[in-house]
Amino acid sequence: MFKAITFILLLIAAPISQSMTNEDRAKELIRKMDDMYRSTASRATMTMRMQTPNYDRSMTMESVTIGEDQMLIRILAPKKERGIATLKIDKEMWNYFPKINKTIKVPPSMMMGSWMGSDFTNDDLVKESSLVEDYSLVVQEDADYYEITLTPKIQTVTVWGKIVVKINKIDNTPAEQAFFDDKGRKVRVMSYKEPKQFGNVTLPSVLEMIPLNKVGHRTLITYDKLELNAEDVDKKLFTMRSLKQRLR
Amino acid sequence: MLLAKLAFRNIFRQRRRSLLTGLSMGGGYLLLAFTLSLSKGSFNNLIDIFTHDHTGHVQIHKGNYVDRPGIQKTLLRTSGIEKILDNEGAVISWAPRIYGVGLGYGGEKSAPLSIVGIDPKLEKNTTTISEKIHQGDYFGSEINADGYFSAMIGYGVADMLKLAIGDEIVLISSGVDGSIANDIYIVQAMVGNRTSYDKMNVYLPLNAAQDFFSMVNKVHEYAVITAHSTDARELARSLSAAIDNTEVTVSPWQEVEETFYKSMKADQEGQKVTMGIVVFLVCIGVLNTVLMSVLERTREFGVMLAVGTNRFTVMSMIILETAALGILSCLGGFILSVPLIYWFTTVGITMPQAMDFGGIIYDTMKGEMNLTVFALPAVIIVGSAALVSLLPGIRAAQITPLDALSDR
Amino acid sequence: MSLTLRLAWRNIFRNGRRTFLTCLLLASSLIALVLTDGIMKGMMTLMIDTTTRTFSGEAQVHKQHFRDAFDVNLYIEDTSEITAQLAADKSVEAFSVRTMSGSMISSADNMTGAVLWGVDAESETRVSQLKKALVKGEYLTGRDNEMLIGQEMADLLEVELGDRIVVTLSQVNGGELSQALFRLSGVFKFGMRELDKSMVFINIMQSRQILGLSKGAHEVAFNFVDSETAMNPDLDILKALNNGNVEAATWITLQPQMSAMLGMIDYSLFLIGTILFIIAALGIINSMFMSIYERIYEFGVAMAIGTRPSQMVSLIMAEAFFLAILSVVGGMIIAYVLSSHFSVVGIPMGEMEFEGISIQNNIKTVLDVSQFTVLPFAVILLTMVAAIYPALFTARIVPSEALHKSL
Repeated sequence: MFKAITFILLLIAAPISQSMTNEDRAKELIRKMDDMYRSTASRATMTMRMQTPNYDRSMTMESVTIGEDQMLIRILAPKKERGIATLKIDKEMWNYFPKINKTIKVPPSMMMGSWMGSDFTNDDLVKESSLVEDYSLVVQEDADYYEITLTPKIQTVTVWGKIVVKINKIDNTPAEQAFFDDKGRKVRVMSYKEPKQFGNVTLPSVLEMIPLNKVGHRTLITYDKLELNAEDVDKKLFTMRSLKQRLR
Repeated sequence: MLLAKLAFRNIFRQRRRSLLTGLSMGGGYLLLAFTLSLSKGSFNNLIDIFTHDHTGHVQIHKGNYVDRPGIQKTLLRTSGIEKILDNEGAVISWAPRIYGVGLGYGGEKSAPLSIVGIDPKLEKNTTTISEKIHQGDYFGSEINADGYFSAMIGYGVADMLKLAIGDEIVLISSGVDGSIANDIYIVQAMVGNRTSYDKMNVYLPLNAAQDFFSMVNKVHEYAVITAHSTDARELARSLSAAIDNTEVTVSPWQEVEETFYKSMKADQEGQKVTMGIVVFLVCIGVLNTVLMSVLERTREFGVMLAVGTNRFTVMSMIILETAALGILSCLGGFILSVPLIYWFTTVGITMPQAMDFGGIIYDTMKGEMNLTVFALPAVIIVGSAALVSLLPGIRAAQITPLDALSDR
Repeated sequence: MSLTLRLAWRNIFRNGRRTFLTCLLLASSLIALVLTDGIMKGMMTLMIDTTTRTFSGEAQVHKQHFRDAFDVNLYIEDTSEITAQLAADKSVEAFSVRTMSGSMISSADNMTGAVLWGVDAESETRVSQLKKALVKGEYLTGRDNEMLIGQEMADLLEVELGDRIVVTLSQVNGGELSQALFRLSGVFKFGMRELDKSMVFINIMQSRQILGLSKGAHEVAFNFVDSETAMNPDLDILKALNNGNVEAATWITLQPQMSAMLGMIDYSLFLIGTILFIIAALGIINSMFMSIYERIYEFGVAMAIGTRPSQMVSLIMAEAFFLAILSVVGGMIIAYVLSSHFSVVGIPMGEMEFEGISIQNNIKTVLDVSQFTVLPFAVILLTMVAAIYPALFTARIVPSEALHKSL
């Protein structure tokens, strides 16, 4: 989800020269994606809907980010979870639970576990996979899409055998990100849907994560409000004190 | 029955010999009865201990919860199961439970642990949990003055999170509806000891657990206690029929604790070997005696045969004698064994070293008293003695009167 | 005296059949005892071996209080002194240095909690069965990123040889998050649920690196040349290793459950032995009486001509003694043959599970010197004791009555 945001941000800010080769272009795309992390701040409100064979629930949250390293997400609804917040600084992550007034640093045992009950993991949010540095890129294209295959380099610590990113040629928006295991089986797919106008840019407003090895599971993130290149994001938001602030 | 009278009288002719043989057979009987009583007794004793500790005799779950537990497999409290349990005469008591896993926090330390929701009153009536409290007090379902529920924790949890009575324990998990479960509880008691199976358990009052896991009015399990562990299968069947729901599974403890059941069965097989050895020794003793007696009475048999007694009759008489002696000895053995086994069943032998089966202390070997314990050894002893006497019997029947009468 | 002995010896063979049967009884008792003892000892050995030599080791060294909660921060800073002492001690067969930490293991398909063990590939083979337990792939060689997991875990994570596995844990002294990538190099199956389901093995150099330990380790496990050594909680090597910082103990202390169970087996053996003896004794008494009755006329004559009662007693006791010797000799030979056979072939006892360990092997009887010294001696003693009553009876024969009795 985090990568998605930055990917979107990248696409807005970087005009792409048509004279580069496709491969270079892909590298450029991804590299700029990494780079763009560091010079952008954002504010957003979104709804996350989690579906499993046993339940179907939605959460509303607001998020603030500076670059790739700092992120604060706070849950607004439902009432039971209102005020629960997640703070990420570099590779560390903390959760705050207002009901018990406790801040907990996310331990390793929870890292690979689901974030807030969704199909995204804590690791997804924290992982600073610099895609260009940690992966090798191969590009293919057809009439509609650029298909970039990312294969992790030997030292890269990840469970994925490869990641395939599909980008719409028409407007350079991402269409799909597929995660494969070592045997080449697709294990999960993130789809980008429903482009919407946010300020003066058009982006997919819905991210859908479907784990293919769990029947009936789906997580949908819908951006209700999104402000890019926000200028007034306060650095003091990314502190423990801020994390513990209760919502009215 | 001339034969019978003769056989009986023959026994008392040679008192000392009969006595000694009888002692041997009686001793064998005593030993077999004792072994049977011990084997069944310790087995059943152990079953009693752990079924009363936690498992119960019968358990009720949703679907295949026993094989593949999952927080989603819940039973509705209002589905009528509880009414059936209350009305079923064989059910002495029952207790509902909730199971989940979560992360526990005490101060700065965290540890993964098991969360068990129990109804304080019902659980106390059904299991021995309240006797395993070595520190603090058994909890209740009420919220305390500050608005917190109580919890009882195992020693593993207490050690890892450095908690003491009165401390707060934070639990974080996810509910059945996927929501984030988080709450604070006050430690009111420590359960078990450092090696018990429940050392990483946190017990919560049922209503608190339902709240925590967002499963109002639902439970994962009912544990049911009846009079005897041997009645479990029967009860499971009748409850299953009464509940009449394909999604609800009623399991006797033999299925719930399959591995324990299998190992105990294997152990019992081993006992059979021991008993076999005992029977073998008794048989050799009997063979010895009867053969001697036959040889000794060669002349007597010679006379009988000469007078016209059927050879088969002679053989039968010997077998009958042995059998009769066997019955008498077993009777004697029975009389001796009753008080001994009774004592063994009620008081038992305190073992030099108490065994700890995961927190359940097993320190007394107890026996069991039932018909099998007394009847089976008698059948075995009398049967094998009679069988063994066949040999000398045949020998006797083959005596040639002429040789016999001229011998000695 | 020698007359008594000669008479006794000859008397035994006068009634060959009875002597044979009595000897059979005695010999059978001895054989039964030897076999039972062998089976019990075999079972004990199997259980101990399964528990200790499969993986955990007959004795272990840890930092004080490590075992309370297995806190990864309670590690032995420098194991070289300990290993030096172990290497120098002749009673120690082999040792292995290990790190142990809780961790999360994830694959593309799934994740689970596990205990991560860092071991030295070579020394580990001399202490545990890890290498032998491999069912797929290869054992650790010391190269980077090698990992061995249990069959059950491999199924859960849906991984095959060569697949990626990520380990996530917190480092010592600070708990900073550490992640590392491994490739599945081997799958093992110990047959012990605890091991197969939740343990993961990697090379110790790498585990130290991930954990942030430079030379430290959590455990030094070792075995003795003679397994019996472990039963003694007061060993020199333990005393040498134990100090305020570190504790060393054998499985007797570390796994009290096992010792309790073994204590119970000892107790049962004693009970069975006692009972066997009683039955055998009754048989002997019976047999002796019969032989006395048969010769009561003869004894009457002997006493009438002046044989002293004490001499009669000696005669009977001597007969009993010779009977015992014969039986014991025969019994020992047969017992030896049977027990040797079973010590190789083993007795199938079906499948048993004890504390999560599935014991499927045949129980091999254990031949022990005590079985051939203590037990035979006990049988001889038993026979003599049993003969006392018949002997006394013989001494009190009234010649005049005896001479009337004829068979």
